[in-house]
Amino acid sequence: MEAIKPKSLEEVLEYKYKYKNDAKIIAGGTDLIIKIRKGEENPKVILDISTIQELKGIRETLEYIDIGSATTFTKISECILLNKNLKGLKDAAKSVGSPQIRNRGTVGGNICNASPAADTVPPLLALDSILVLERKGRKREVYLKDFFKDKGRVDLGEDEILTRIKFKNLLKNQGLGFYKLGLRRALAISRLSFAVFLEIDEMNRIEIIRIASGAIGRFPMREYELEEYLTGRIINEDTLKEAESLLERIIFERLKGRQTAKFKSIAAKGVFKKALLNALYLCKGVNEFEKN
Amino acid sequence: MNLKKIDVNINGKDYCLEVEENLRLIDLLRDKLHLTGTKEGCGEGECGACTVIMDGEIVNSCLVLAFQADKCRIITIEGIEDEIIKNSFIEEGAVQCGFCTPGMVLAAKSLLDKNLNPNEEEIREAISGNLCRCTGYNKIVSAIKKAASIKRGGDSE
Repeated sequence: MEAIKPKSLEEVLEYKYKYKNDAKIIAGGTDLIIKIRKGEENPKVILDISTIQELKGIRETLEYIDIGSATTFTKISECILLNKNLKGLKDAAKSVGSPQIRNRGTVGGNICNASPAADTVPPLLALDSILVLERKGRKREVYLKDFFKDKGRVDLGEDEILTRIKFKNLLKNQGLGFYKLGLRRALAISRLSFAVFLEIDEMNRIEIIRIASGAIGRFPMREYELEEYLTGRIINEDTLKEAESLLERIIFERLKGRQTAKFKSIAAKGVFKKALLNALYLCKGVNEFEKN
Repeated sequence: MNLKKIDVNINGKDYCLEVEENLRLIDLLRDKLHLTGTKEGCGEGECGACTVIMDGEIVNSCLVLAFQADKCRIITIEGIEDEIIKNSFIEEGAVQCGFCTPGMVLAAKSLLDKNLNPNEEEIREAISGNLCRCTGYNKIVSAIKKAASIKRGGDSE
């Protein structure tokens, strides 16, 4: 194994062009080092991007919030640029591993490893994020929702790397909620998570809703059927009940034949509801359902 | 295996080292530099026994390759001169077998460097990446509370 620590993004792309799939990107290393030691990965070359400044940090442009792929979970959870309506993204970043893992692990690694349980991916999906992928001399953008091809497989060329993740900043009547079910508090791998992006009018009618689940499929994914059902409806107890039973059917169907199908399809209802109510709270500033 | 040249500052001392490319930071510390205060527990980032401070933040040294630490500042338990934290751990009985202690002390140090008045939840969160199989954590939490209180200028509680 050859270890290289490039000094700039340009150098990273140059090496990636030279070595293609023989070169594996390492940032936080919290997944890759374990895999290398277990013999599951045996890269000829590793390219360390953990100190490339161009790939670190969060900035706001005219239209987007823009996060560098080598930004750590700690930096995301502490970022003051991410306002309170984006709490769901911070909550997800805060729920990753432990302080030690969050200080090293990066959002780009979370996305590119394409683990079904990646914590920050459902909120980024619910934000309808766009990924910037770069190779030597070329840049392209894809929607995060189109990036996952299968468990552990993503739409990334052999000489390409993920450089930035961007999404539109939220308005006052929009909110991003997140909820995760894990086995223990620290270091819990997601057993189930939901992120909900919500935009409502004064009547609590859902103008836009985007829902993403984690750990219930081969990769984190949007729940389009549920989104379609909820769009245009007024949020009340009846709507929530209907949505929950629809979700239970969707999840049970997806996991049919697996031991976890029954548990997950029932648990999903509660996790989804919590994520939705978290989003509603951010839109309104109050939680009308908890009061009742 | 090629050797890779790195410059790294450990506990305030500059080192210019040649390391194997797949060598982990923990192996560099323990096997090459004989800084054996840093422990290896699980080797996969679950237990925190290998915690060190890297450029001001706690990390698991089993999940960092030594070459990645090029141009970085590392502090291990040997470099901690904070007698208040150490004494609080001893006085509160927060040390039993001692295996988790270096990691716990570094996690506590990292917390108290940023926050001198942490509440119980913040303390438990700060040490959530460190496993202890002896104390049941309560004595460790008390030790960190006590250290915070002394650092704030108060007496021990």
